[in-house]
Amino acid sequence: MSVEFTVCLLVVFTMAALGAPVAISMIIGAIAYLGLSGQDIALAGEQIIQGVYNSFILLAVPLFIVAANIMNAGSISDRLLQFCVALVGHLRGGLGHVNVLSSLIFSGMSGSAVADAAGIGKVIIGMMTKDGRYTPGYAAALTAASATIGPIIPPSIPMVIFALVSDASIGYLFIAGLVPGLFMGLVLMLLNRYQSARLNVAVEPRTPLRALPMITWRAFPTLMMPVILLYGIYGGVTTPTEAAAVAASYALFLAAVVYRTISIRELIRVFRESAISSASVGLVISAALIFNYIVATEGLPSQIADLLTRWNLTPLEFLLMVNLIYLILGCVLDATTVILVVVPLLIPACRELGVDIVHFGIITMVNLMIGLITPPYGILLFVINGTTGIPIAQIIRQILPFLGVLVLALLIMTAFPDLVLFVPRLFGYPG
Amino acid sequence: MTKLVKLLKSTADNIAAAMLAAMFLTFLVQIISRYLLDLSLGWTVELCLTLWLWLVFWVSSFCARESDHIRFDMLYLSVNKKVQRVFGIIAALGVIVGFMYSFLPTLDYIWFYKIKKSPVMRIPLHYVFSIYGFFIIAIVTRYCWRLWVHIHPGLNDAREKRENA
Repeated sequence: MSVEFTVCLLVVFTMAALGAPVAISMIIGAIAYLGLSGQDIALAGEQIIQGVYNSFILLAVPLFIVAANIMNAGSISDRLLQFCVALVGHLRGGLGHVNVLSSLIFSGMSGSAVADAAGIGKVIIGMMTKDGRYTPGYAAALTAASATIGPIIPPSIPMVIFALVSDASIGYLFIAGLVPGLFMGLVLMLLNRYQSARLNVAVEPRTPLRALPMITWRAFPTLMMPVILLYGIYGGVTTPTEAAAVAASYALFLAAVVYRTISIRELIRVFRESAISSASVGLVISAALIFNYIVATEGLPSQIADLLTRWNLTPLEFLLMVNLIYLILGCVLDATTVILVVVPLLIPACRELGVDIVHFGIITMVNLMIGLITPPYGILLFVINGTTGIPIAQIIRQILPFLGVLVLALLIMTAFPDLVLFVPRLFGYPG
Repeated sequence: MTKLVKLLKSTADNIAAAMLAAMFLTFLVQIISRYLLDLSLGWTVELCLTLWLWLVFWVSSFCARESDHIRFDMLYLSVNKKVQRVFGIIAALGVIVGFMYSFLPTLDYIWFYKIKKSPVMRIPLHYVFSIYGFFIIAIVTRYCWRLWVHIHPGLNDAREKRENA
């Protein structure tokens, strides 16, 4: 690691610690790096401008945020939440289970963890903290943890990027995410059950059985959303990025025509809010791009990859090692950066050691999603902090047990490839 | 004065909302034309990307408040007001110096693109990229104001009162 890069990291962390926005801190760090190493200062702007202007895939981010905000404003997520409350709300830790279950269903509608956390997460945090049922920190931590399931269950933006750099089949990758996503939901629910019993959280009244058909009927058009999206992608009607626009228009159709719960004034507000939140996420991604460039220039990932291939490892040892690297990288880098920079370097080693590429892809996804909630650089923590105002410190204090069970789930998926691969095999995957 | 600022802010917000709505509609046009009319349009993708670039930096320049940005404020929130002021002053100075330092070379880079036009819509690219230049100017101006406010905390109290009102 060069002196310039060390200074760059120092600048980024110092600026961020002093309270400057994360994106601005990264840009300043990059400028410091370029200045010290005698490179063209304009490279910072160039990487940022070209990165945003050339990545079509990024367009899914604002569209998924619009979709999520319309779903919230148009009582669509309310109906989904009511449905989930009716199903699991009366159990111990009920609203926590509702949080996880709604995330699971929402995962089938949206491809980004950030949209999950910013969209439905905001509503469920409001429900969980009302009348002091759960502490804001706990509600935010559980929301962040369950939002990591979003890109594991299809559709998924990070998986598309992974398929792009690894040549793995996007169809098999998507299907392979189904069981791991459900598994992650299960371990989170188990932990939530345990924590709620320990903290003695009040149990909600059971929804009467005769109300159930009506609630299901009201939520039915919403529950159709994952079906439409999957058909769109699998039927070859839309690209995964376009699926985001379909999600937004279907949500708009539901809110404006079917449920009639959104006014023009409300719609303008939705677009104003979505514009501001998607741009602040966009700014972080664009700043990560210049950072990405510097990390690549420093040759850091390739040094790590070199080291890995020199040792003769079994597939399991390799994956465990990779897990460790991802978890460390995930603490400081954003998921897209890791996929674009690190994954291509590990693919050759993967082939040589006989590691299945789809299994490797899912392990990568789960790792990086866990990385989204690991402090200090956990984008989901920032997003929830941004949308709800719950201080980062409170969230971090509560996130550790959730991190623990997710890592445990990851280790189980790593050790038993069949758990990940049996569904794609049913669909004819030869691996 | 306050009224004028409010009007400007709300106009900037509406422009951002309009850009996002335009992106959304363009996407729909693309899907409909490609799959229903079997017609592949080139301009839709380019328009979306241009709008996205402008949206990100337009909002970051003129709409987003400090609290809208993604921040890592653990340490900042744990210290008292006096130390927060010192933090604010150092951070503002860092941002101002860093962005000023990069301003001219970046402007040079953007200006260089006046010889190139975008592939489908034929817009000169220095117009497309100019928003990043505005972004730098806006950020430096904002942080100069923040620096001023941190040095004269009386102003900050007045502003907080206004923002809370």
